[in-house]
Amino acid sequence: MSGRTVHVDNVEVKSVSLASVLQIGDSNRIQGFSRALAVQRQAEIFFGNEGNFTSYRVFSEPLPLSPITEQVQMSRQYITPCIRIGKIGVTGVSASAVVHLGNTRHVSMEARVKHIRQLLPEPE
Amino acid sequence: MIFNVYNKELQVGNIHILGVSSSSLFLIGDAETIQLAATFDTPPESLLIGPFVPLAPETGA
Repeated sequence: MSGRTVHVDNVEVKSVSLASVLQIGDSNRIQGFSRALAVQRQAEIFFGNEGNFTSYRVFSEPLPLSPITEQVQMSRQYITPCIRIGKIGVTGVSASAVVHLGNTRHVSMEARVKHIRQLLPEPE
Repeated sequence: MIFNVYNKELQVGNIHILGVSSSSLFLIGDAETIQLAATFDTPPESLLIGPFVPLAPETGA
């Protein structure tokens, strides 16, 4: 695994939720996928079994992750073989997100969100 | 394309991030390929004004 060594003095992550990862150390392949129905409603009403991903196009439309076709000859020299960080503070890591301290090789991640606003009618 | 990288001193004192979310990546280190894609949808008709109608229920798919 080519790559530099990461020196971090202090890491503070308050929350890692919803299939998220705090990775300390190297990895080889990262693949992440998340989809969300973000409903903002003017009143606190919850129906429990709401939401259906299949009824919204944004969750099924093709999302072109263009393949890398460019022939790239990449060469790396590590004159200083490490990355030094003093303090890292992350409040939240959520929805298939990754905080990664260390090297990786291939990363492919995708997110799909449908926003819906439901407001009460204006009083005349 | 020939792409030569000379990694010299890389030092950061302090990083503070509020949130990393929705298939995002916060990487400190090297990588070969990174492909991130996102789509979101807020069409006019997704702004509903009027009595609340619950969304279509799960079809158990």
